[in-house]
Amino acid sequence: MSTREEILKAIQENPLPLKSHPGDFKSFVPSKDTFLDFQASLKIVGAQFIHVENADLAQDRLNALYPGLARYTSQDVVNSGLELEEVQVLEIHGEFGVAENGAIWLRDDHLPHRVAPFICQHLVIYIKKITLVGTMHEAYDRLEGYFADFGFFLSGPSKTADIEQSLVIGAHGARSLTVIVLDK
Amino acid sequence: MLNHAEASEQFIQDAERTTWHDETLWFVRSKRDKASKVIPEWEGLREHASQIKDHVLANLGQYLVEFEAKAKANGIHIHWAKDAEEHNQIVYELIAKHGSKALVKSKSMLTEECHLNSFLTKKGVEVVDTDLGERIVQFRDEVPSHIVLPAIHLKKEDVGETFHQHLGTPKGNKDPQFLTEAARQHLRGYFLAADVAITGVNFAVAETGEFVVCTNEGNADMGAHLAKVHIACMGIEKLIPKRKDLGVFLRLLARSATGQLITTYSSHFAKPREGQEMHIVLVDNGRTRQLARPEFRNSLKCIRCAACFNTCPVYRRSGGHSYHQPVAGPIGSILAPNFDKKSNVDLPFASTLCGSCTNVCPVKINIHEQLWFWRQDLMKDGLAPAGKSLSMQGMAWVLSHPKIYRLAGAMGRFVVKNLPFLVNNGLNPWAKQREMPEAPKESFQSWYQSRKS
Repeated sequence: MSTREEILKAIQENPLPLKSHPGDFKSFVPSKDTFLDFQASLKIVGAQFIHVENADLAQDRLNALYPGLARYTSQDVVNSGLELEEVQVLEIHGEFGVAENGAIWLRDDHLPHRVAPFICQHLVIYIKKITLVGTMHEAYDRLEGYFADFGFFLSGPSKTADIEQSLVIGAHGARSLTVIVLDK
Repeated sequence: MLNHAEASEQFIQDAERTTWHDETLWFVRSKRDKASKVIPEWEGLREHASQIKDHVLANLGQYLVEFEAKAKANGIHIHWAKDAEEHNQIVYELIAKHGSKALVKSKSMLTEECHLNSFLTKKGVEVVDTDLGERIVQFRDEVPSHIVLPAIHLKKEDVGETFHQHLGTPKGNKDPQFLTEAARQHLRGYFLAADVAITGVNFAVAETGEFVVCTNEGNADMGAHLAKVHIACMGIEKLIPKRKDLGVFLRLLARSATGQLITTYSSHFAKPREGQEMHIVLVDNGRTRQLARPEFRNSLKCIRCAACFNTCPVYRRSGGHSYHQPVAGPIGSILAPNFDKKSNVDLPFASTLCGSCTNVCPVKINIHEQLWFWRQDLMKDGLAPAGKSLSMQGMAWVLSHPKIYRLAGAMGRFVVKNLPFLVNNGLNPWAKQREMPEAPKESFQSWYQSRKS
């Protein structure tokens, strides 16, 4: 008998009483103002926040935030993640944001490479104000029926508190995150 | 090997450090309270998560088969391992097949449970732990003392000294920012060079065949997205039925663990990237045995948040290493006897049974009750320490003989009053760190009788 069969047999040998799935979680308190909540969450998770009408209007602010650093804006696919090793500032587009925790859903078909938002030194994400949802439940409602080969929620810059619980921003991923919320 | 009480005795020798350890973990617990109270529906979420996990355990076989089929259709290779040895062998063969001599590994409690690192090291493979806390303890040839905060037993001076020895940072530098930067530079080289990356799995979704890995540092992703081969190791209880269930668990996990709103990265791996190989190792290692025990089945609902560690008055004052197990704390103490009763007989007794663990558990595991069930189970098997069995037998005998009970009471009162040195000494564990109370003048019974007359 293969290990697979052995394990499945061991499970079947002890049938447990039926327990039904409780269904989707419905009793969450909706966000009264997703924009304000999203902004507050970004502050907690250590991200910078810029609100502008369109992307062009954010450029001066970005130049001031990252003076003298090269910005990588191409979404053209690269074959090897190693090509992105030197990227200083990566600019990408997020699909939608979650107000309760500042998380932004990103998917690999909108990225030059899966490793891009991790290997860059600084990360800039554009996101449309209209895409904001309140909670993670609404986030997964939005993802219903849609499949990404690789997708992830990102909330704030990379961080660690492994040395004496002292929060340090910039562990292995991006050292800073700037979220630009666009009206259009 | 020292038992929990003996190891704790060593840990508390340094009173200042013990207090610091205690307060630091309590601080994390307080952050958890704050983060959970922001959500009015928190208790509903816990109940929901608990019910989803109950449902999974009742249908585990079916969900494993569904997950396997979906993941295979997504192009992921699936392996099954009945125990730690088979798991380690599978991982080693994958590494050997690719001719790799070095690999990067992000945090995985399962691989700790299977002692994968020492297995691979013996085979000549260099394992580089990439979580900062795990890298620190790896340099020191120690094991993690906490499943979420692996180096919580260390002060920044200790880390500074370790990095000075292993990374050449200036002696005496203990600045967390500086030390973290040094680790970032050091590990980046390994990320860029590694052919194989190992990660754990926080949740595996049967409906879609994808698995979710949560980190704050980004180390799991840095490894997995650069390596040619990604091996994800998981216990079979990590399954959840639907993707929407993630909404419940991702709201609970980080808030319960560190008081964060969510981990920085919650990565959903569904298909390998172009040219990459992706493997999942599904591991039993005693889980089906635990599943068959009704009183301990609940322990398989654990999502490894460590809220029970941070709140436990015993853990906070005894440190993770006292538990001599990869998973310490209250949850570790109910998982360990399933692996080996005899060598873990001390752990269910490393608790005051105060129930705080049960109160904070995001999936509502009755941890303190299971500790108590294990105590009974171990006593029945005759595995309790000799002193404990003897004193319990003695006590039972005294309590079932009223005359002897009264005589013993009178003797006790006489000794405490007139010969206090007989009880206030090192041989009596109750007299450690405390004075024995003053003995009452008479027993309740004699007082009651004198009142009647």
